[in-house]
Amino acid sequence: MSSIRVNPFPMPDLLAALEQLQQQTATTTLELATGSTINKPSDNPSGAAEVIRLNASSSQSDSFQSTIGSINGQFSTADSTLSSVVTSLQSALSLGVEAAGGTLSSTDLADIATELTSIQSQVLSLANTSYQGQYIFAGTATAQPFVLNPAQPSGVSYNGNTDTNKVTIGAGYQLQINLPGSQVFGLGSTGGDVFQSIHDLITAVQNNTGIGTAVNEVDAALGNVTTQRTFYDDAMNQAQSQQTYLNSQSLSLSQQLNTVTAANVATLASQLESEQTAQTATLEAIGNTPQKSLFDYLS
Amino acid sequence: MSSLFSALSIATGALAAEQGAMDATTNNVANVNTPGYSRLVPVLVESDPVTLGSVRYGQGVTLQQLESVRDPILQLQIDQETQTQGQLNTFVSSMQQAQVQFTSSSTDIPSQISNFFSSLNQLSADPTNVSLRQGVLTAAGNLATVFNSTSASLTQQRASTDLNVTQTVQQVNQLTGQIATLNTQISQLQGLGQDASSFEDQRDVLIGQLSGLIDVSSIKSDNSLTLTTSNGTALVVGGQSFNLTTQTNASGYQDVYAQGVDITSKLTSGQLAGLIQVRDQTLPGLISNLDTLASGLANSLNTANEQGFDLNGNAGTALFTPPSVSGQGYAATMAVQITNPALIAASSDGTAGSNGNVAVLSAVQNANVAGGQTPTDYYSSVVANVGNDVSNSSAELTSSQLALTQLQGQLGSVSGVSLDEEASNMVQYQRAYDAAANVVTTVNDMLYTVINMDTLTV
Repeated sequence: MSSIRVNPFPMPDLLAALEQLQQQTATTTLELATGSTINKPSDNPSGAAEVIRLNASSSQSDSFQSTIGSINGQFSTADSTLSSVVTSLQSALSLGVEAAGGTLSSTDLADIATELTSIQSQVLSLANTSYQGQYIFAGTATAQPFVLNPAQPSGVSYNGNTDTNKVTIGAGYQLQINLPGSQVFGLGSTGGDVFQSIHDLITAVQNNTGIGTAVNEVDAALGNVTTQRTFYDDAMNQAQSQQTYLNSQSLSLSQQLNTVTAANVATLASQLESEQTAQTATLEAIGNTPQKSLFDYLS
Repeated sequence: MSSLFSALSIATGALAAEQGAMDATTNNVANVNTPGYSRLVPVLVESDPVTLGSVRYGQGVTLQQLESVRDPILQLQIDQETQTQGQLNTFVSSMQQAQVQFTSSSTDIPSQISNFFSSLNQLSADPTNVSLRQGVLTAAGNLATVFNSTSASLTQQRASTDLNVTQTVQQVNQLTGQIATLNTQISQLQGLGQDASSFEDQRDVLIGQLSGLIDVSSIKSDNSLTLTTSNGTALVVGGQSFNLTTQTNASGYQDVYAQGVDITSKLTSGQLAGLIQVRDQTLPGLISNLDTLASGLANSLNTANEQGFDLNGNAGTALFTPPSVSGQGYAATMAVQITNPALIAASSDGTAGSNGNVAVLSAVQNANVAGGQTPTDYYSSVVANVGNDVSNSSAELTSSQLALTQLQGQLGSVSGVSLDEEASNMVQYQRAYDAAANVVTTVNDMLYTVINMDTLTV
C-alpha cells in the first residue's frame, strides 16, 4: 500500500481557487470600469494618501485660478477707469493750454471753465467707480471715496482709507489688488493732486490768471495717474503669468494623479483575459472531477 | 486438539469478523458526504493460537474494534488556523466596511476642507460680498456635517460590532453546552467499552465551529476533554460547560466575563477577538483621528477668526463651536457657531472692505493643525493607515485560508472516505466472507461424512 493517501475530496481546494479567481476578475473588471487602480484605500494605501494630497493641491490650484479670474475683472475695471481719467486729464490739459494762449475772450474762457467743471465731475465719477458693489479706489473702506466738498481746497474730500488688500494666488504668493484712491489721485501731494490741479485750473481760467502754472499742475497730476496706472498693468501681468504657471501646475498634478491611479487598460484587458481563461480551466477541472468510482465497475 | 467443530467455530468467527468489517465499509460509504466524519477501519487481529505438543493451532480472526482514523495533531492545527481565520475574517470584513468612509469621493472630508478654503479664497477677492460670505458659512457647515456623518457612521459600526460581540458570546455558550453534553455521552460509551467515534466526530465539528469564534485550547485526558481559552479560562471541563457572560462597561459596550473574570482584552483569536479588536481599538482609533483633525481645524480657524474684524467692524468670534481641550468626541458634534455671514472676520483692520484676515484664515490650510501635520496630510495618513490595515490583514487572511484549505486537504487524505478504497475493501471482505462460508459448507460436508460413515456405501 502506498504511504500517501490522496485526499478523496479535491472539491474544497478547487472551489477556493475558483473563488480567488472570481475575486481577481471582479477587481480587474472594476479597475477597467473606473479606469483607476485605486478604488478603495486598501487597493494601494500610500497611493490613496497621495491621491488625497494631489487632489487637495489640485483644488487649491483651481481655487487660485478662480481668484485670479475674479480679481482680473477688478484690475481691468481699474485700468480702463484710469485710462479714462488720463483721457479726461489730457482734455483738461489741452483746454488749459488753449486758455493759456491769452487770445481767448472772456466768454470763451467761461466756456472752457464750464467744460473743465464737467471734466472735474467726470473724473470725480470715475474716481468713484465700483466693481461688484465695492468702490475700487476707496482703499479698504466701503463708503463712496470721493465727494464734492467746497470746504476743501481741492473741492473734493476723500472718505476712503489708505489701506490695501492682497489676495493669495499661489502657495505663499500674495498679490496686492488695489491702490488707495488718495494715492492714485495724488491727494495732498504737491503737483500731483488730480482734483486740486483741476480745481486750480478752473479757478485760474475763471480768473484768467496763473493758467500756465495750473496747466503745469494738471500735467504733473496726469504724470502721477499714469505712473499709478502701471501698478494695475503690473498686477495684471503678474496675475496672468501666475495663471499660466497654475495651468501648468494643474496639468502636472493631473499627470501625477494619472501616474498614481490610472489603470493600464491594455494590461488590464490581457489580465482579465488570462483570469477568465484560468477560471474556465478551473471550472473544467471541477467539471472533470471523476464522477465514477470503483463501485461503477463492480458487477 | 484440532477438530471439525473447532474449524467450524473458526469459520463462523471469520464470518462475523468479515461482516463487521463490511459494517465499517457500509458506514463509510453512507457517510461519504458527512462533514467531520472520520472513516472507520476494522481492526482485525489473529485470535490467540492454541499449542498442543509441538503443533500450533490457529484460532481464526477477531474483529477487535472499528477504529476511526484521526490525526489529533492535524485537527489541532486546523482548530488553531480556524481561530486565526475567524479573527482575520471578522477584522477584514469590518475594516472593509469602515474604509468605505475613507474612500475618495467628491463629498469626503478632504474635498470639504478644500471647498471651505476655496470659498475663503473667493471671499478674499471681494470681502464685502454677502453671498460669498454665505458661501464660506455654507462650506463651513458642509465641513462640520461631513465630520459629523463620518464619525456617526463609525460609531454606529462600533455599536453593531458590540451587538455582534453579545451574539458571538451566545453562540460560544451554545457550542460549549453541546460539547459538554457530547463529552458526557462519549465518556459513558467509552466507560462501557463501546465505540463513541460518531460522537467524537460531532465533537470535532463543534470544536471547529467554536474555534472560529474564540481562542480555544483542548486538553484530552482518557475519556474526557477540557477546553480552555488560550489564557487558561475553562470553557468546558468534561461534562460541564462554563458560560461566558457579558457586562456593560463604562463606555457602554459589552465586556466578556468568564466565571466573573473580565477576559475582554485577553482574547487573542477567533471571531470574538476580531470583533473586540475592531470595537475597542481600530474604530475608536479612527474616530479619535477624526476628532483630532476636526478639533485642530476648528481651534485654528476659531483663533484666526477671532484675530480679525467682521463686516460691522466688531472683533471676530469663534467660527465653530469650541472643542474641548482634548477634542474628544468633537468630530461627532462639530458645528458652525455663527449664523450671520457678516460675522466672518475677513477684515484685519476693522474696515469693511479689508480682506487682510482672510489670509490668516486661509493659512490654516497649510498650517500644522493636527498631529503636527497639515489637515490634508493628517487625513491622508489616516487613510493610508486604514488602507494598510485592510490590505495587510486581507493578505494574512488569504494565506490563512490557503493554509486552512491545505490542512483540511491533509486531514481529508487521512480521515476522508474514498469510495474506490471502500469498493475494493468491500470486494475483499465479500470474498473473505464467501471463503469462510465455503469453509462452513466444507466442514458441514465433512461432518456429514463422519456422521453417516456407517451407512455410506463404499
